[in-house]
Order: sequence, then structure tokens, then C-alpha cells
Amino acid sequence: MISVKNLYHSYTHDDVYAVNNVSFEIAKGEVFGFLGPSGAGKSTTQGVLTGLLPLQKGEVTVAGYDMRRRNRQMFNKIGVSFEQSNVYNKLTALENLEFYKKLFDVKTEDPMKLLEIAGLSEVAKHKAGTFSKGMKHRLTFVRSMLNNPELWFLDEPTTGLDPAIGRQIIDIVKQKKSEGTTVFLTTHNMNVADELCDRIAFIIDGEIKLIDSPRNLKLQFGEKLVVVDHIVNGITKREQFSLIDPADMARLNTLISTGQIEMMHTKEATLEEIFIKVTGRGLE
Amino acid sequence: MKKLWTTFIKDVKLSYSGLYFYIEIGMAAIFLAVMLFVVPENFDKTQTYYAFIEVDEIRDEFDGRVFENDGTRVELFDDREGLEQALSKKRSAVGLHVYMEDSKPVVEFVLQGYEGPEMKQMLKQTVEGGLLAELPTYEDLTTVTVLEPGTERLSDRVSMLPPYLVINVAFMGLFVIAAYVFLDKEEGVIKAFAVTPVKVWHYLASKIMIMAVMGLVTSTLVVVSLVGFKINYLLFFGLILSFNVFGSTLGLLITSFFDSMTKAMGALFLSIFILVFAGFSYFMPSFSPVWIKFLPSYPMFFSFRELFLENGDTGFIIQNILLFLGLSAVLFAYTNLRFKKTLTV
Ligand SMILES: Nc1ncnc2c1ncn2[C@@H]1O[C@H](COP(=O)(O)OP(=O)(O)OP(=O)(O)O)[C@@H](O)[C@H]1O
Ligand SMILES: [Mg+2]
Repeated sequence: MISVKNLYHSYTHDDVYAVNNVSFEIAKGEVFGFLGPSGAGKSTTQGVLTGLLPLQKGEVTVAGYDMRRRNRQMFNKIGVSFEQSNVYNKLTALENLEFYKKLFDVKTEDPMKLLEIAGLSEVAKHKAGTFSKGMKHRLTFVRSMLNNPELWFLDEPTTGLDPAIGRQIIDIVKQKKSEGTTVFLTTHNMNVADELCDRIAFIIDGEIKLIDSPRNLKLQFGEKLVVVDHIVNGITKREQFSLIDPADMARLNTLISTGQIEMMHTKEATLEEIFIKVTGRGLE
Repeated sequence: MKKLWTTFIKDVKLSYSGLYFYIEIGMAAIFLAVMLFVVPENFDKTQTYYAFIEVDEIRDEFDGRVFENDGTRVELFDDREGLEQALSKKRSAVGLHVYMEDSKPVVEFVLQGYEGPEMKQMLKQTVEGGLLAELPTYEDLTTVTVLEPGTERLSDRVSMLPPYLVINVAFMGLFVIAAYVFLDKEEGVIKAFAVTPVKVWHYLASKIMIMAVMGLVTSTLVVVSLVGFKINYLLFFGLILSFNVFGSTLGLLITSFFDSMTKAMGALFLSIFILVFAGFSYFMPSFSPVWIKFLPSYPMFFSFRELFLENGDTGFIIQNILLFLGLSAVLFAYTNLRFKKTLTV
């Protein structure tokens, strides 16, 4: 669905690159996470892939279209949700969606249905300018679903939203994923990436450090731990055992065969911990 | 085309809930009010006569060189040359040359060239009735000489219309359309629009159409109120439309070189400033260096002038409508190319 080879982008048209030699492929139906701290070049990459920024150097194919020879027809297949909400403040929520709906040549969703999904049906006839930040964000988000996109670009879909709304948005993306939509998701929220993505790219300072599935990343970089709650002299005690360290393994074995275990579970390193391990930097 | 229409309707909704539409309406209203209540039909209320009188009996009727009474002012000159010089300086004055021929006094009117036949008749009667009737020897031998044959003149009020129209449709358009585009950029909606299967030229054309509608509405309002239905409105709409499209396209082109209103402001003001120069030539016909005629605003001022003249040059008007439509088309093609690259950057 997306193929990017040796992509560079410089806002200043010199050798200060916001995106520096980035390559990756996204298969049809895949949810691909672009993960990195602020200023890593995530939005810039999405900008080039969606044609909002010119392709300066590199080869990019999106939904079968070569981005060197841009064809506006491609946008019938693509949906883009933006990091900063951008709706017409002077139009109502419904007018906003109805206007965009008419710009597509393909079958579109019913705006009222989308407003319902966004929890905005009550305020459908209110001007978007009167909306809160979260409401505008949800309107921007559902607008990107109007044309039932095959390929969906989501730039920070949950950032700055209260957790309940963030949860709703994650569920919608999951639903679309199960329907076979390809998703390019940009975020610096590891939990979102972990929950939604088939594969994740770690990007920092415009460069991709590695690409893999969350599971493989955890297997490869996460130190596997077992957390055990056991009772010693009537008091519950919690201990962590590494599954790599032989001494820990031996102690765990003894505990299992002799001790009074109340609860035992494996603990994976979070993607956040792995990110720090791989890049030497945090995500904020 | 359906998408262009959709976009245009959206722009209509946005502009009537926006500021600029009301600024143009307000400007039109203020201009109209000033024209109707402050500016008289002709600024100069008293009619000035410059007279060179070679008949002593009549000369003696006046004591002193200047004679004034309600609404009339007569100034005396000692020779024909001085009279004509004074006349060419004050375009609203009327000249009288009185001399003896075959022992009868003859009155010759020296006119500017724009006076209509009724005006001439009226002048003749005024002078005959008021000044000469008592003279027993008077006989109608009045003749009329015209300084610049074939020149017509607009009334003071109507002569303010061409500048207003040029400012309203061409200069304001330049500025307002830039403001519209930068507003879209600032709100980020331009990005959302750019990721739909709509052509960039649809976006641009819709903005130009909005400006054209605003220009047509406000200009028609003002012109109908001031001159009624005396002019050819088909030509009027043609002029407004073609100048408006030209101004808007020029505004878009300038816009395409900048990423914010603040940065574009300098270039926009500079272009308006340069274009305004043609206005000097309009108000002071003696100031017309060759280069000023190459400013696009020059034919704009003078096309409108022709439109309001009783015997205006229709060919000149049509020629300019076509010229500006053609220029706009070329400019638009280039602007579209530029915006394809820079719309969302
Ligand atoms: N319009 C612009 N002009 C100049 N530099 C820019 C522009 N937009 C972004 N940059 C720079 O490019 C780099 C990458 O920015 P980008 O917005 O792609 O980061 P990001 O990963 O999306 O960050 P965030 O998590 O904050 O959204 C940053 O150094 C940023 O300062
Ligand atoms: Mg970003």
C-alpha cells in the first residue's frame, strides 16, 4: 500500500533534514505505527506521503500512485486526520462534513452517522467554532472517514484527548482494521501503538532506528520478568525474577515447588522502556 | 464543475459570515453617502464667466474687473489670449467675447467642448436676457467657438465613479483574496481541502468567483444609485467582471509567493501603490507620461470613464474587457501552476 525508499525532506532546502533517509513498506491491511518524540519527523513524513509537502528526494508510492507524478484521484482512496484540527469554524459540524462529502467521486458515509460515532450528533447544527478542542478533534477525525478510505493516515489521533474519548477513537480504528483498512498511525503514545499496530517504526531525529512488530520488539529487547506474590510468615510478598538470569531462574523454581504462591504473572517490558533502551531517549 | 460549485457555495457561506463582505458593503455605502450628500453634482456651484468685452457701452456697465452676484461671477480680460488661457485652467468656466461687427454688438461664446446643446441654449438665453437685452442696438449674431472640439466632460460626481470602481473591484480584490487564502492557511482547512480529489484550480476559481460576486453587487449598488439606468449595463458588468477577475488573479499570484499575510503585505501594498499612479493621470490629464499608460490600471480608469460618457467609445470598452479577460487567463494558468506546488507548504 505504501512504499518509501530513501526519503529525505528539508524545510530549509539544505542538508538539515527533518526526514533523513527513511525507507519502509506498508502492506495492505496493515496498521503501521510511526513512533517517536516531538520533532522526530513523523508529521513531516505523513506530509510527504499525503502530498501536502513536496517530494524532494526519494521514491514514494502511495496506494499505487507515484508521488512524483501526483494524481488527485488518489484522494478518493485516502483519508487523512490531522494532528491539529482544521475545520471551518464558521460552518456547522454537519455543514463541514456535507461540504467534504461532495468533493469525493466515490461512495461516501452518511455525515449524521459519522457525527454519531464522534458523539457530536447533538451539536450537528452548531458552528464548529463554538466547539471545544476535543470536539473539533473528533470532527476532524470522523471527517477522514467520509470516503471509507482504503488507506487511512492518522496523525496523533488520541493526543490531547481525555482518556474516554481516546478509548473510543482506538476502538473505531480497531473496527476499521478488522474491515481491512490500511492505517499509517503517527503517535508518541506507546500504549496506543502497542494496542493497534502490527508493526512499529521507531523514528528519532528524522531517522528510523528500527521497525518490527510490538511482540518481536518485546521478545528481543524486553527483559522477560515473572512477578510472584507469595506468602512468607503470613505476609504477602512480591518479588520479580528475570527469566534470563540463571540464579533468578533457580530461585523461581524452588519457590514454585515449595512456596505458597498467591499469584504469578509474566511482566513484559513496555514499548516505552524498549524505546528508551533502543534510542537512548524518552518519548516526551 | 459540480465540485467547483460546491466549493463556491461553501465560500459564499463563509464570506457572508466573515468580515470582508461587510467591509466592501460598508465602503460602498459610505462612498454612496458621501457622493449623494456631500459632493454636489458639480463641486463648483457658481457659474464663472470670463469675458473680453470690446464694446465700450457694455464694458462700462461693469465697474471693476470682477462682478459677482448670486450664482454668477464675471471676470473681465483685456485680450482674447488671456481669456482662453484662463478658460483652459478653469474647466467649468464659460468664456464670452463681445465685439462690434457692422456697428452691432456680437457675443461669441468660448466653450470648453463638453457642454451639451441644452447647456449652450441656456447660456445663450441667460446672456441675451440678462446682459444684453436692454441694449437697443442688439441683434442676435451670437456665435459659438469651442476650445477642444469633441471632448465631453463627466459631472463632478460621476467623475468620482471610475476611481471608486477601480479601487473596489481591482485593488480591494487584490487584497481581500489574499486575506481569504491566508485565512484558510492559518485555520489549516486548506490542508484538509488538499487531501480531497479536488483540483487546485477549483479552489482558486471559487475564490475569484466570490470576489466577482462581491464586486458586482457593491458596484452595481453604487452605480445604479448615482447614475440610474443611463449607461449600458451589459458593458458595465463586462468591465467589472474582467477587472475583478484580473485583480483577484493578480492577488492570488502575489499570494503564492508568501506563506503569511504579514509577509505578503509589503508586496500587496507595493502593487496597489504602483497601480494607483494611473489615478493621477485620470485626475490631471496633463500628467500622462508614457510609462503610466502601461499600468493595467490606466485602461481601467479610462474604460470606466468612457462608459459614463454620453457618447463613450464602446469599442475601447469592449477591447479592454477582452484584453483583461485574456490577461487574466494567462495569469491564472501560471498562478495555478504555482499553487499546485505551494498551496499547503
Ligand atoms: N513548517 C516547518 N518549517 C520548518 N521546520 C519545520 C516545519 N515543520 C516542522 N519542522 C521541523 O521539522 C522537524 C520535524 O517536525 P515534525 O513536525 O515532522 O515532527 P513530529 O515528529 O511530527 O513531532 P510532534 O510529535 O511534535 O508532532 C522538527 O525539527 C521541526 O522543528
Ligand atoms: Mg507531528
